[in-house]
Amino acid sequence: MTAIAAERYTGASIKRSEDPRILTGTGRYVDDIKLPGMLHAAFVRSPMAHALVLSVDVSAARALPGVIAVLTGAELEEMTVPGPDALMALMGWAGPTPEFTLLATDKVRLVGDPVAVVIAENRYLAEDGCELVEVEYDDLPPVVDAAFALDPGSPPLFDNLGDNIARTHSRHEHGDVAGTFADADRVVDFHIDVHRHQNVPMEGRGCVASYDADSGVMTMHAATQSVHVTRIAVAMRLGMEQDKVRVLAGDIGGSFGLKIGASREELAVAAASRQVGRPVKWVEDRGENLTASGQAREESFDVRAAVSHDGDLLGLDLKMVIDTGSYPGMGAMVPDIMEAMLPGPYKLAAMGFESTAVTTNKACYVAYRGPWASETFVRERALNLIAKDLGLDQVEIRLRNVAPRSDPPTMMITGRPLVGVTARESLERVAELVDIPAFRRRQAQARAEGRYLGIGVATFIEAAPGPRSPEGPSGPMGLESMRLRLTEDGIVALFTGQMPHGQSHQTTLAQIAADEFGVPFEQVRVVVGDSAVVPFGLTGGSRSATMTGGVALHGARQLKAKVLDFAADLMEVSAQDLLITDGNVWVRGDPASAISVTEVARRAAAVIGPSGDGDGAAELEVEATYDGGEGGWSGGTHCAIVDVDAETGIVKVERYVAVEDCGALINPAVVEGQIRGGVAQGIGAVLLERSAYGEDGTFQSATFMDYLMPTACDIPRIEIEHLETVPLDADVNFRGVGEGGMIVAPPTVVNAIEDALSPFGVRIHEQHLPPARILELIAEADPGQ
Amino acid sequence: MVDITLRVNGATRTGSPEARKTLADFLRDDLNLTGTHVGCEHGVCGACTVIVDGRAVRSCLMLAVQAAGSEVMTVEGLAPDGEHGGHGGHEGLGPLQQAMWDSHSFQCGFCTPGFVMQATAFLSAHPDADEQQIREALSGNICRCTGYQSIIDGVLLAVQRNRQDATANAEAGRS
Repeated sequence: MTAIAAERYTGASIKRSEDPRILTGTGRYVDDIKLPGMLHAAFVRSPMAHALVLSVDVSAARALPGVIAVLTGAELEEMTVPGPDALMALMGWAGPTPEFTLLATDKVRLVGDPVAVVIAENRYLAEDGCELVEVEYDDLPPVVDAAFALDPGSPPLFDNLGDNIARTHSRHEHGDVAGTFADADRVVDFHIDVHRHQNVPMEGRGCVASYDADSGVMTMHAATQSVHVTRIAVAMRLGMEQDKVRVLAGDIGGSFGLKIGASREELAVAAASRQVGRPVKWVEDRGENLTASGQAREESFDVRAAVSHDGDLLGLDLKMVIDTGSYPGMGAMVPDIMEAMLPGPYKLAAMGFESTAVTTNKACYVAYRGPWASETFVRERALNLIAKDLGLDQVEIRLRNVAPRSDPPTMMITGRPLVGVTARESLERVAELVDIPAFRRRQAQARAEGRYLGIGVATFIEAAPGPRSPEGPSGPMGLESMRLRLTEDGIVALFTGQMPHGQSHQTTLAQIAADEFGVPFEQVRVVVGDSAVVPFGLTGGSRSATMTGGVALHGARQLKAKVLDFAADLMEVSAQDLLITDGNVWVRGDPASAISVTEVARRAAAVIGPSGDGDGAAELEVEATYDGGEGGWSGGTHCAIVDVDAETGIVKVERYVAVEDCGALINPAVVEGQIRGGVAQGIGAVLLERSAYGEDGTFQSATFMDYLMPTACDIPRIEIEHLETVPLDADVNFRGVGEGGMIVAPPTVVNAIEDALSPFGVRIHEQHLPPARILELIAEADPGQ
Repeated sequence: MVDITLRVNGATRTGSPEARKTLADFLRDDLNLTGTHVGCEHGVCGACTVIVDGRAVRSCLMLAVQAAGSEVMTVEGLAPDGEHGGHGGHEGLGPLQQAMWDSHSFQCGFCTPGFVMQATAFLSAHPDADEQQIREALSGNICRCTGYQSIIDGVLLAVQRNRQDATANAEAGRS
């Protein structure tokens, strides 16, 4: 008698299959790769923010025993193909394209800009070699802030652009902006700044490039969010055929948007391996990571809001300048997403948005967990500033303005339907959980004792994946592909282009496929990290819960149908009468008929034969795609309670509550890990982290003594409650949660700090609030406000 | 080059590192013990934490030659093959590792060996630690993925199980 398992893996906090190797030190990260004859690379980097390169003398470095090669920027140009950044090209960037070389040749544009690479027998010797490279620079005035970059007289970083505008000014209006502002009871305006901070995965960037001259094949062991984007980038820059580049990836020590594709350094390492004919490893150290890997945010906003006396937010009009740093990256593309997302779950009548992206002598803008997050910061900060002016409670003003759930759904003023958004429910639930009236009593009591407690809430939506567009040909995020195969050993193998780096895909995708196919969790294998065998894909943008979860579900269904067709012939019954549960195929109503999936797989393999030219119907493999189905939004409301020490400026986050709706949970522990991790980064961004530059463009936070990361003593327990209110799709109601914590935690915490400091009349128009800044705000404030 | 002899995970090992080579690089490059990760190379992040003569140390700040004659334990030495962490545990995991697995402690795993070694050293001296003590003891290790709560919960679970086991053993001893 076959046991018929009723349990489902999906929805349970199944323990991660990644963990046994990770907990025992047997994970395989890129720095763990050792190849025969492998050499090590180190980069000579600019100490200047902006300078002409007059000469590069590598003779002493080349003479150092143990140094195999020193390649200058000019030499690398001869070994590579100039062209646009592969990622920008893939994303369809059509704006001004700066011309620059792989490593700096005539000009350096940031502190840390690589000018040469030293290849040596080990990393110590490679760094010794770097010390011996003499570079002569001629200073140029550094362009360190956006205001100077906007000045037509600032020296252009890229001569072919003629100025420091990375993306020219654009303005879009949605609804009747002039009319809405003219008719409003009040128009308030203020300026908001978001500071520069960065991803800081615990493992930096790195690769091992290994070129085989006989076959002409480049094998890259990479730390990447997409083996295929890295493959395309290497092939483009090295002038190789796409199929002669194979990218492999194992465990990856975090990324948060940093490791999409191949960086300039990784491309130089690939070129160096081809040049010297030996494998070359480069793993950046923390100084390189903080200085030169990339940074995020740094936007400033002039905000105008049209409001009614009762607290209706009628219109928003934003002018943004985004500082995208030196070399081109995602920074010029982010304004479009900010514009689309700015209304959030609120029923604005009109919205204006204009933006200019500038180029400065700082690290390149990279995607960092919710790259457009500042739209939420600005909106949620604005709501609290307005509420304060009108004497409204911060929950009340939000409840007043969130769009009701209706059929048809309210359209965001920027054009997307707010289908299934539960912002109102999350606000109401947060207010219940923290009991705001009780908190206000405690706050008043604490103030009487000279202690400053504050409460802050903020609400967000996350397009993970976002709703199906009414006019769109396919879903919200294009297509996701997966190849699924029942191996001859009876394993359901999922080949995915997802490249997990902490997100637990090897567990969550197996949960979904195991349930859908009907095999034990252990009988599913998730195959990632080899461009030769996995379809195109990218881990990022909170896409995988819906897109990859969906393709795993539908793909497993298709594979199961194929397996049942084969088994039906084998068992001489109709496929309609067959079931698969707990790894066994059996005839409905006749458990004694069961044969194992593994046995079916063996029979199929026997039919095909070792040469693979047998009956195609026995080929138990499918190529599945998924377009996101009905998609939908993730979102929710967070609440922080802080205790601000007005003497020292130290902020302690006493309590943090998140009410989130990401639809059906695949693995609650994984979901909650994503939320907590994002919130921790958001708390770090407000209280600790800043990528700081001096007036001359020197980088001032190149160590963990200067770039302060949150620790176990800085992050409180984060209470999470899930709403699972609105199923939109028959099968796939999983939505992403990768970015939400980092998107909404900064305004949540800043709103709480402002609330705590309200007896001083403090108004906050910025995001970075270390103790010294808290004390300044108190000193500058007008208690009459 | 300096000839050194030391004990690593219970076995005598010899090597000839350069005097400037860090213990972390010696363990990883010369002894192929790549479970010890290098996260900052300036002693702040704790990813490279190993136990030397019973104390948790940053192996990026210690030279290999300074470890000559010492007893070094790395994450690879925590649970010998065949051992399992109790409570229906997984082969190859010690009790702390098993509790961390059960608690979904980690995500990307890069900081993990450092946390495991730091917590191991701490618990051996403070087997009854409470949450605040554990937070402080682990505040010198940086994790970028988790927000720490799951890691703290893993250590707390190990403390709780250890206490239960001790109680059960004591009761078994009385009966």
